[in-house]
Amino acid sequence: MAARDNLDALVETRVMGQVTSPELSAGVYAVDREGKPFVPVGAGGIKYNVKVGMSAFGWAADQVEPGVSIANPQATANSALSTFTCVGNTVQVRTGLATGALGVVTGKHEEFASYQHVLVDFDQETLSRLCPGDQVVVRARGAGLAAAGAPNVTLHSLDPDLWRKLSLSAGGPALVEMPVVAVVPPHLVGIGSGRISATTSICLQLGSRDELSEVGVADLRLGDLVAVTDWDGRYNTGYRPGAMLIGCVAAGTSRLAGYGPSLTILASGRGDQLRAIIDPKANIARMLAVGTYRQP
Amino acid sequence: MVKSNLDALVRVAVEGQVSHPGQRGGFTVGFDDRPQMRPGMAGVTVNLRVGARALGWECDHGEPGVSAEGLNPDRHLALQVLAALGNRVRMTSGLAQGALGTVTGKHAFVLIDFPAEVLAEICPGDRLVVEAWGQGLQLTDHPEVTVRNLGPELLGVLGLESGADSRLRVPVVATLPSRVMGAGIGMSSEWANCDVMLHDADLVDELGLANLRLGDLVAMEDQDHRYGRSFHRGWTSVGVIAHALGPTPGHGVGVVTILSAPAAALATRAVPRINIGDLLGLS
Repeated sequence: MAARDNLDALVETRVMGQVTSPELSAGVYAVDREGKPFVPVGAGGIKYNVKVGMSAFGWAADQVEPGVSIANPQATANSALSTFTCVGNTVQVRTGLATGALGVVTGKHEEFASYQHVLVDFDQETLSRLCPGDQVVVRARGAGLAAAGAPNVTLHSLDPDLWRKLSLSAGGPALVEMPVVAVVPPHLVGIGSGRISATTSICLQLGSRDELSEVGVADLRLGDLVAVTDWDGRYNTGYRPGAMLIGCVAAGTSRLAGYGPSLTILASGRGDQLRAIIDPKANIARMLAVGTYRQP
Repeated sequence: MVKSNLDALVRVAVEGQVSHPGQRGGFTVGFDDRPQMRPGMAGVTVNLRVGARALGWECDHGEPGVSAEGLNPDRHLALQVLAALGNRVRMTSGLAQGALGTVTGKHAFVLIDFPAEVLAEICPGDRLVVEAWGQGLQLTDHPEVTVRNLGPELLGVLGLESGADSRLRVPVVATLPSRVMGAGIGMSSEWANCDVMLHDADLVDELGLANLRLGDLVAMEDQDHRYGRSFHRGWTSVGVIAHALGPTPGHGVGVVTILSAPAAALATRAVPRINIGDLLGLS
């Protein structure tokens, strides 16, 4: 049974974005944590072969964003796109060869002083027709969602349908439980401290599969649900003893110092009202039937 | 005095100006969940100087003294990257023209200390020149120690020693655990600083940091700040407290990295007081 909520009070809006094209600084090379230069590929634009449900590791890429990365070129409109859009929302293509095609939001991903993207999964045929610059509209719903009777739990970026699938609430109305594949300690949170929880992502400093032994799992997949202990995301993201944050892996890992897979923040709790239940299958691609779980 | 490649470092003039505070008209939300709008970033902060306490101010990332910026974004980045702690600064316009100051920290701006009577005369928009000197600095007998943002002026008075075990010995007032390292992780080691999330009063007591001061030297446990700042088990970074507490979660007290090394190459030593204000004669 799902936890009670305020679904009837939520407004549904439309926010516009467009398919992005990758961008690079003039220096081109990024420098990894050991001082080795590399060309960062993977953020922005259309990724034909990287889908939510696949590993967040093993790509010759930096912070690879699965599927299609959209943004609004106007800064305040992009802030609204990034904030009102929720994971699980439906997206419709409005211009170009793929006009009318539908997709599903799988995450939000931010790079410091650079971009703020919403990530969308489309079927393969739509991907082949899409082009950077195509306009898309997000049927945005979920902003303002709250779990009834659990005032110490804050929900962010959760489509109501995904919320209903995610919240286990076995412990009664004052408790929200969500499945996660792993629990990460606070010292492994990387870039993303201080960001606005409703809008953004934080990086986990789990740069390689080897480092995953720190959190006791063999792999992390795009879309996996992950908890961070002693980390708060009610308003801004930051260390808070006793708090917990849950998010989904939005973008792949990175070789940069202080980086790794990025989590889109979905829930934050204090005082033990939010609980994480280990479930190796906890992945939003499975719940939303997108990415590698998309039916032909 | 440890040996270095001082003779190989170029000393370059970088122009800047005293910044002016900005507002976007919105509140930020503090660790106490309350909206707040406080001064502290940019401009001239007259009564907050190196040596002052880092906690307990009603400010947002309170930057001591003058906060300087470049004249355009490219020049600003050059100022940020090339300026090093201890560097000399000359005022080149305004009522304080000709006065000398000292780089004491970095945030989004380069933070500069001046004597109190000079600080009182400095005004946003006044021009200045930083005699930038220090990037590229290496400690000859400690090749595993990476140096960042450390001006030769400060290197000379830091009290660094080579131990019998050939480790570099560094005095610090405290050691920060990795879990409190917030905004600044993942960013370039030369850019601004890393915020230390010291909002929780019990945590501050537990870590013994209630009396932390701007300018204090601190160690950062399991931190590698060579090519950007990151968690790295077994490494130690050393930095200088640059600004007072920012109240937003994820933010905090800023620490500018000066040294980074594996534990086998660097040992810190806790001392009751080591502050760059004392070392550089700023009062």
